[in-house]
Amino acid sequence: MSADQTVADEKLYVYGVVEDEGVDVSTPGVEAASDVYTISHRRHAAVVSDIDTLDPDESDENARAHDDVLREVMTAGDGRPVVPMRFGMVFDSERALKNVLRNSRVELTGSLRQAVDREEVGIKVLVPEDGLADPEEARASIEAELDERAEDVEDGDLFSDRLLLNRAYLVARGRRGRFDDAVDAVREAYPELTVQYSGPWAPYSFVDFTIATEA
Amino acid sequence: MFLLDDLFLRPITSLLTVIHDMALQERYDVERIRDDIKEVRLLYEVGELETDAYERRKATLESELDVAEAARERLSGRVEVKR
Repeated sequence: MSADQTVADEKLYVYGVVEDEGVDVSTPGVEAASDVYTISHRRHAAVVSDIDTLDPDESDENARAHDDVLREVMTAGDGRPVVPMRFGMVFDSERALKNVLRNSRVELTGSLRQAVDREEVGIKVLVPEDGLADPEEARASIEAELDERAEDVEDGDLFSDRLLLNRAYLVARGRRGRFDDAVDAVREAYPELTVQYSGPWAPYSFVDFTIATEA
Repeated sequence: MFLLDDLFLRPITSLLTVIHDMALQERYDVERIRDDIKEVRLLYEVGELETDAYERRKATLESELDVAEAARERLSGRVEVKR
């Protein structure tokens, strides 16, 4: 379905915003939406799919679909900057969405600039169930190894007693190999730890942009 | 007599209220349950939990979360969870 065909009572689930250029997404969207398309205002385009609720289910499947769509958008071709939206951003109408694109164009331009040729990766490090002799030493050493290979870092929530480290790193796309090597070095140095290395993600933790849905 | 009852009972009822509120705080700690859901998902993702065990524990925690959110809504203003 194209933007012009959007049925009046359907709502729009928004994944993120890109510069207005051809975006061809084959990944199914949230709530198994088969058609992910764009709605444009001047030079910005919101990546959207139709949805019939303002409150989509926060299921694993939907969260994965949200991320998969963004990953396809940001990795297509040589890569494209994207301003990602958090899961669950739904607009009542195309008109409301275009209002936001219009009113936020300066912030969107700045945020897209921040995202050029950069991607986010995630690191979670778990200690064994019976603990670790010197967790502080391990944490400091791992942070030192990884931090110098990234452009920025954000600490995440330590939501489990098993978590030694939960961080998001902003890495230049051309320097991912160096960061991958650093993660391998951490795994070799601390075989007793479990290292979860995820991504690339759209730069959720680093792009400074929020939307007021009532706009 | 009324004065004596009042003097004896007031500390007891206050203590009971405190204990009751503490129990509510523990039982309906929405943030703790959300953290537990995230932990279970993480353990599944890194291979420490099998799919069946993950699905079971997740379903249990999600039910607890529904109950806790509903209770917190009902008791709004009466229960303050201190973290």
